[in-house]
Amino acid sequence: MVVSKMNKDAQMRAAINQKLMETGERERLRELLRAKLIECGWKDQLKAHCKEIIKEKGLEHVTVGDLVAEITPKGRALVPDSVKKELLQRIRTFLAQHASL
Amino acid sequence: MKMEEMSLSGLDNSKLEAIAQEIYADLVEDSCLGFCFEVHRAVKCGYFFLDDTDPDSMKDFEIVDQPGLDIFGQVFNQWKSKECVCPNCSRSIAASRFAPHLEKCLGMGRNSSRIANRRIANSNNMNKSESDQEDNDDINDNDWSYGSEKKAKKRKSDKLWYLPFQNPNSPRRSKSLKHKNGELSNSDPFKYNNSTGISYETLGPEELRSLLTTQCGVISEHTKKMCTRSLRCPQHTDEQRRTVRIYFLGPSAVLPEVESSLDNDSFDMTDSQALISRLQWDGSSDLSPSDSGSSKTSENQGWGLGTNSSESRKTKKKKSHLSLVGTASSLGSNKKKKPKPPAPPTPSIYDDIN
Repeated sequence: MVVSKMNKDAQMRAAINQKLMETGERERLRELLRAKLIECGWKDQLKAHCKEIIKEKGLEHVTVGDLVAEITPKGRALVPDSVKKELLQRIRTFLAQHASL
Repeated sequence: MKMEEMSLSGLDNSKLEAIAQEIYADLVEDSCLGFCFEVHRAVKCGYFFLDDTDPDSMKDFEIVDQPGLDIFGQVFNQWKSKECVCPNCSRSIAASRFAPHLEKCLGMGRNSSRIANRRIANSNNMNKSESDQEDNDDINDNDWSYGSEKKAKKRKSDKLWYLPFQNPNSPRRSKSLKHKNGELSNSDPFKYNNSTGISYETLGPEELRSLLTTQCGVISEHTKKMCTRSLRCPQHTDEQRRTVRIYFLGPSAVLPEVESSLDNDSFDMTDSQALISRLQWDGSSDLSPSDSGSSKTSENQGWGLGTNSSESRKTKKKKSHLSLVGTASSLGSNKKKKPKPPAPPTPSIYDDIN
């Protein structure tokens, strides 16, 4: 019973992701997010943070894994509320459109 | 697919919200990952710290944001109202107009040597008569103001009687000659245009005279142009210069035409008896001014060599050659080979005629 529900959930998520890709909405959302983040200075903040990390570790010893591990939580936290709201709104609209089909 | 969509619509709001959050987190992570790759690449390629400078120099190059200053902190417009004093005529001229002024004032450039000559000639003629002086003033003004120069160009293009001169071989030529003769009294003072060499055929008698008092003026056998060097140019002898002056300025040789024999046939014979006799008299002469003026040699040498006896010459001409001057000069300006506007004679002469 639980397994089948999980299955159904997973199926549904896969279907939604499929739709996001097929319609190109995912690409649009990603571009929108990128532009908004650059606009609001998120990128500059993260860059400053990166410099600290790199100086700390030394230029030669920086790996992508280290960076991702350090940056991702910070990056998530630094996204401004307005950007988050706008993005969520667009996702909800998308879901509503395709759920009502 | 249909089944899934049906089930999707059946989801409650909290489920949809969770999915939305999930997608959002996905997107943010995506951006973070992209950023990490970017930074990593920059670090490994060595350009990550390139835009870093020490704070001191950053302060030096800070963008200035104050009214009245540009971004470098300098006062702008400081050159706008600068005036330069011309070393030649001591006028103060706006900096933006200084170069054009200097070109005319100092007589450099192709066109301006002629203008400068005319200015000199005008200043020599200053004490002639009242009407003369007015004309000279008018010409002077034209030298100095840019706008009137433009106007002059416009006027040139407006004048229909210039058109036939574009093509000396056109059948309308003889007609245009007549037309020109009728218009002699209001000849255009804007007679200079941008020509390189000085072709004596395009010059009126006044111009010729002023030119010959300042320049060598010997006619080259090859180019048929006048030498524009100084009166003492080493390329030509004094004898040559004298010959040219006698030829052009001698009272019996006012006609500044060398090639009249070439074009005799195209002239309207009804023009005037004087013109015809002049043509016949001068028709065979080809750059042999000494022949035509030999009898007057001693008389003409004086002002031929640059002394300013324009006054005496003027009166002489008025007395004995009034009828010839008009026809001769119009003939001269008509017979030129180049598509240039003719050089109408100075109005003062023709005021007297009419």
